[in-house]
Amino acid sequence: MSVGPNNLDSHEPLTPAMFHVLLALAGEDLHGYAILKEVELRTSGKVKLSTGTLYGIIKRLLADGLIIERRSRPAEANDDERRRYYRLTTQGREVATAEAERMDELLSVARARNLLKRPRPA
Amino acid sequence: MDATDSRATRFYRALLRLLPFDFRGDFGPEMETVFHEQRKEAARRGGAAGVLRLWWETIVGIFKTAPGEHVAMFTQDAGFALRMMRKNPGYTLAAVLTLGLGIGANSAIFSVVNAVLLKPLPYENGERLVTLQQQAPRAGMLRQPFSVAEINDYRAQSHSLDGLVEYHNMNFILLGRSEPERVETGVVSWNYFDVFGVKPLFGRSFRADDEQPGAPAVLMLSYEYWIRSFGGDPTVVNKKFTMNDRVHTVVGVLPPVPQYPDENDVYMPTTACPFRSRPAFIANRQARMMQVFGRMKPGMSVSQSGADLNAVAANLQRAYPNDYPPAIDYSIRTASLEEELTHNARPTMLVLLGAAGFVLLIACANVANLNLARMVRRERELAVRAALGAGRVRMFRQLLTESSLLAVIGGGLGLLFSWGALNLLVNFATRFTPRAREIHLDSTVLLFTLAVAVLTSVLSGTAPALAARDTVVDGLKEGSAQSTIGIGRRRMRSLLIVAQVAVSFLLLIGAGLMLRSFQKLQHVDPGFQPENVLTMQIGLDFTKYNTNDKQRAFFENFLERVRAQSGVKSAAASMMIPLTNNMQMPGDFQIEGQTPVPGQALPVADFRVVSEGYFDTLHIPVLDGRAFTRIDRPESPLVAVVNHAAARHFWGEQDAVGKRFSLDSGKTWTQIVGVVGNVKQYGLDKDTVDEIYMPLAQSPLLDAIVVVKTSVEPMSVARGIIELLYAVDPNQPAARVRSMEQVRAESVAAPRLTSNLLSLFALLALTIAATGIGGVMALAVGQRRHEIGVRMAIGARPVEILRMVLGQGMALALLGIVLGLLGAFALTRLLQRLLFEVGPTDPLTFVGVAIVLSAATLVACYVPARRAARVDPIIALRVE
Repeated sequence: MSVGPNNLDSHEPLTPAMFHVLLALAGEDLHGYAILKEVELRTSGKVKLSTGTLYGIIKRLLADGLIIERRSRPAEANDDERRRYYRLTTQGREVATAEAERMDELLSVARARNLLKRPRPA
Repeated sequence: MDATDSRATRFYRALLRLLPFDFRGDFGPEMETVFHEQRKEAARRGGAAGVLRLWWETIVGIFKTAPGEHVAMFTQDAGFALRMMRKNPGYTLAAVLTLGLGIGANSAIFSVVNAVLLKPLPYENGERLVTLQQQAPRAGMLRQPFSVAEINDYRAQSHSLDGLVEYHNMNFILLGRSEPERVETGVVSWNYFDVFGVKPLFGRSFRADDEQPGAPAVLMLSYEYWIRSFGGDPTVVNKKFTMNDRVHTVVGVLPPVPQYPDENDVYMPTTACPFRSRPAFIANRQARMMQVFGRMKPGMSVSQSGADLNAVAANLQRAYPNDYPPAIDYSIRTASLEEELTHNARPTMLVLLGAAGFVLLIACANVANLNLARMVRRERELAVRAALGAGRVRMFRQLLTESSLLAVIGGGLGLLFSWGALNLLVNFATRFTPRAREIHLDSTVLLFTLAVAVLTSVLSGTAPALAARDTVVDGLKEGSAQSTIGIGRRRMRSLLIVAQVAVSFLLLIGAGLMLRSFQKLQHVDPGFQPENVLTMQIGLDFTKYNTNDKQRAFFENFLERVRAQSGVKSAAASMMIPLTNNMQMPGDFQIEGQTPVPGQALPVADFRVVSEGYFDTLHIPVLDGRAFTRIDRPESPLVAVVNHAAARHFWGEQDAVGKRFSLDSGKTWTQIVGVVGNVKQYGLDKDTVDEIYMPLAQSPLLDAIVVVKTSVEPMSVARGIIELLYAVDPNQPAARVRSMEQVRAESVAAPRLTSNLLSLFALLALTIAATGIGGVMALAVGQRRHEIGVRMAIGARPVEILRMVLGQGMALALLGIVLGLLGAFALTRLLQRLLFEVGPTDPLTFVGVAIVLSAATLVACYVPARRAARVDPIIALRVE
């Protein structure tokens, strides 16, 4: 397994699906199923990741150092041994932020050109 | 979990198998859990439809993810492998070279086997083509050609063929170009090329009306002749040339297909051949000259066709009992053309393929050993990687990727070798089959090479990769610099060495037997002396020398001048020279005093026409009576000379000189005036036949070979003699000018080349095996320095160390030799057909090879053993 480079620019471009996963983890540490649910919920069912896609992404993000597996586990009662919890790293947060800012920039341009009306309520 | 659950889980697990092993290892259980929860929710929300949709999305997702994961894994492994190879250039070079040679040898031989034995004939419907031969074994006639009457009968009466065509070969003089040119001419039925399914490159093929008596003479050019003589000029069609006093028009050019039975320059229909179209020749059922080919009707088998044609043979026997007396056991032999073209080559090619395979095995064993040796040095690296989480299977795959890359690069190198050797291969194969020209490095050969490369990587990579799994545990132990090699690994190395020695033994035996066989062939007494004899073929222009007198006069005149030339000791002309591939010319005759019994076969012998001086020129001993001299003229009594075999065979203990025989049922009688020694007419490995020689003066020749005994190097007088020829007739070219030594060398070229190739393989194998053993021994010594140091410290002398190391190495080698011996006893009988006067278990060869191999391995072990003896105990005992 290779350790990902520290330079943000040398990453391969973030796919939308990867960005969704980073977003999901930006809020809190989650396990795999929870990530799926979070993404589905947030996009109102428009983006539904399958296990194959999700774990391919998780593997990439782990390799690039954007997420890590959390060592500590929740209290006994809620724990399923097979579940692994993932946490966004500082670097991951930076990458997600950079991507979000990039999108924001694009959106501003779109708004200026009247492609978007008003920002929709959250 | 209930039944549905467990079924679903099993199915999901099966699906996960599409993903790489490590991926499964890392995330598999987790994915199962997540999927389980997804299913529950999907069932709750959407029922069966929801679950089905989930399955669909999941399957698609895995199919989309899996390829990328595999590629990423391979890229990583390959990148790592390339870095490793760059860091170890010595190892990489050794491995690539070894593999390259092994794969290259196989690729090269396979390209020959593919073209000659595997590919279908390059003729349309080639599998339906058959050759026909007349047989009369009791009359000593095998593979007799056909007469015109017989061809017509078979064509008319057979039911199994939809095309029956004839062929014979002549050479004629082509006029109308800058110089008169002697051309090999195929004389064929008009539909010859149609039956073979060969369409002209341009122009047209022969038509039925081209073969009508009196039709304008036409020609087709072979592709090679067209390129060679006309530079590929497309305007050659409709050009006119003179041959045999007639104008011939070129109507077409053939494509580059293998020409069978001979490589001809031009082709003409039968009516254009002056011999073939003579009424007397056509009417004579016994005038046999032509070869016959047929194309079976669709769905016919060779045996069915054979039965049909033999029914016709039976008809002929009934209709013409005088021409086919029952005693001679007349029949027709039908064989597929494919079989005829390849049966000569098959045994040799298969032996060579086997030998090449052995070389590859040795190469693989060598590289495997190299890898194992490297394993030891990489212990640290592998252990660290294991500690960092690299699964065992992952490392296995990494190592396999490395060996695959090596094999692919080796394969590329091997292909390069093959490509370079292509000309040599074609040259070699030509001596066995005309299909040699079809040898190419085509896609089949490339695929084969790839398959061999894959096999190689598995063979050479698996052993060390398996061994690597144990390394992980050993590597991290304390003091691992001098870690003891896993016993399993040591055993594997020993096994590989033993295997290499055993296989090398087999190859050396094969080569040794072939060499001995060839040596025996070389020492066969040919019955004549080929030294300092020049030969050249002179085919007279039929239209110019159209009477016996003119033909006789030409040769007598020419030979007279040649004999007067300085540097010439004697000269003669003959219908054929020994050791060339002549078709048998048997003739039957009646012995005086032995009345022929009706229904019984007459005695048969090979008849040859030679001028006076022939036996003297070739130093064929005259055992009794005399040879031909000037007193034998056309007007004098008919005389003949027989060889010793014929004298024995037909006249037993009686003196053959003075006896008489008749060639025309008693109308005229020929008297035997001399008996000469036997000559190997058809090949050094063929038996002597009964021969009867007739004098040129009484049986003139149109086409003869002139032999000249010289006191100097024969080719040095060639020019002068050709000048003499032009002085007699400026339009008369000489062909095939070569020394008798060259003829003799050509006649054994096939076995010589085969034994050369086998020897090359054996030498290659020996080198690879010896260096392999030496390398492994050196490594073993290096690793046992500590142990050796201890031994020396407690009193062992260097010579004892030397003996110990040597002994261990030689023990392995000897075990290999013994195994090789057992294998050889079993396998060498496969070589039987290629051997001449040497048994497959020839003791001299076996002993010789055992000695050579022992010596080679001794030398290979000696250097590292000496190094072991020189170990300084103090240095060796220092703890690292």
